Amino acid sequence: MFWKTKPLWGNQPRLKSSYDVVIIGGGLHALATAYFLARDHGITDVAIIEKRFIGFGAAGRNTAIVRANQRTQYNVPLYKDALDLWPVLTKELDFNLMFNNCGNLNLMHSEAAMKAARMTIATAQFHGVESHLIDAKEAKELVPALNISEDITFPIHGAMFHPPGGIVRHDAVVWGLAKGCAKHGVHIHQQTEATAIHTEGGKVTGVTTSRGRIHARQVLVSAGGYSAGLIHQMLGIKLPISVLTIQAMVTQPLKPILDHVVSSGAYHCYANQTLKGEIATGAHMDQWPNYTTQNTAHYIKHQAESLSDWLPCLRGVKFMRIWGGLADMTPDMAPIMDGNDPIDGFYMDCGWGYFGFKSCSAVGKYMAQYMASGHCPEILKPFNLRRYENHQLMGETAALVSYTPDN
Amino acid sequence: MALTLTCPVCGKRNGYEFRYGGEDKGPRPAEEGLTPTAWCDYVHMNKCTMGVQKEWWCHRDGCGVWFTTWRDTTRNIEVEQPEANE
Repeated sequence: MFWKTKPLWGNQPRLKSSYDVVIIGGGLHALATAYFLARDHGITDVAIIEKRFIGFGAAGRNTAIVRANQRTQYNVPLYKDALDLWPVLTKELDFNLMFNNCGNLNLMHSEAAMKAARMTIATAQFHGVESHLIDAKEAKELVPALNISEDITFPIHGAMFHPPGGIVRHDAVVWGLAKGCAKHGVHIHQQTEATAIHTEGGKVTGVTTSRGRIHARQVLVSAGGYSAGLIHQMLGIKLPISVLTIQAMVTQPLKPILDHVVSSGAYHCYANQTLKGEIATGAHMDQWPNYTTQNTAHYIKHQAESLSDWLPCLRGVKFMRIWGGLADMTPDMAPIMDGNDPIDGFYMDCGWGYFGFKSCSAVGKYMAQYMASGHCPEILKPFNLRRYENHQLMGETAALVSYTPDN
Repeated sequence: MALTLTCPVCGKRNGYEFRYGGEDKGPRPAEEGLTPTAWCDYVHMNKCTMGVQKEWWCHRDGCGVWFTTWRDTTRNIEVEQPEANE
């Protein structure tokens, strides 16, 4: 009977007064880091402190897309690693993560966008990631529903086709990783709010929570969109982040029409068909920071208009469900992963914007390595916080759209 | 929930007429003796307040004036200036 079942990650454990590692946030980055701390480094005395419940935030509010077709040489290897991990984790966690390796198609609507795509593809190919430039006709062959005529707002010039990407069932990743964590003895404390991080002589000493004080030598904040606010509130550290509500929605279920994840920068819209037949679509962010996660008629209208422009067969289809989440945007569209600076034992993993889902597995692996050894792995080095004052921003934005209020 | 803001010239208007200009970080630092850290702090760094903050707005689709106002970021509504702040 369903009321007799218990969560895959066990019931609420007793909160100990001391842990080796405390992780604030119970999302995918937190769960993945805890999982790899246990799996790869034997560090199992770990507490995950989650204010609401695991998967409440961006982990449960994304559109499940995964890909490794980013712009810069620093980002691509990280996301490639994440892509390679889905089949491994599915096996290892003994939990079906429903990785649907259907490929991504990024539509290009101008010669400038085609040029940007050529550069992005060159980077991908350099790193051994499959990615090709195709013309509008080839795009139409892949997605027959596509409108490649000249009489739409932004006619399609071509597309960047990235076969290794696709969709992963985001909730399954939460449950699977939580199961894996619990199996290794990690404590997952839900309904537990972290209210303070304590330091002494430049070192982390512990965390105060709504259920009591915990001593810890290492604390990681990976609380998604809430990280920047929490880090400033608890440690006075300011971050180059703007937290924006981002919206997404699904249509009523339809028969299969879309075999790929398709996105368009010019329309500011992406779409994929879920295994249930719904068209999941989104992309829009509020133009000013807020923590509401509310939806607005403004964007539902935009989404309907743009989606039915390049996929005309969707005209008249109804939206069934809408939701909002938080995206913590940085000026260079790349995340911040850092540790032991300026506080020993304090680590942060934030600024993921709307890329946090597709990266979680690889980031968990490398953040665990960082925390276990105290040394930053090569692959994470470019993502340090000081890159902003050293003026070494990433340039992850190829062109096309202005995402943050700052750029 | 749709945001409305009070333009000092045009009065209360739809939030989509405005452009957000960031947290109010005080005056621009003097160029003399300016360090990269201080400049970076002014340009990039935010408090990301979960609650009421003072911020810059421009009435982009209206009279074009820049002004500061107070907004509760957890409710996305303009609020009265809190008493603790002058």
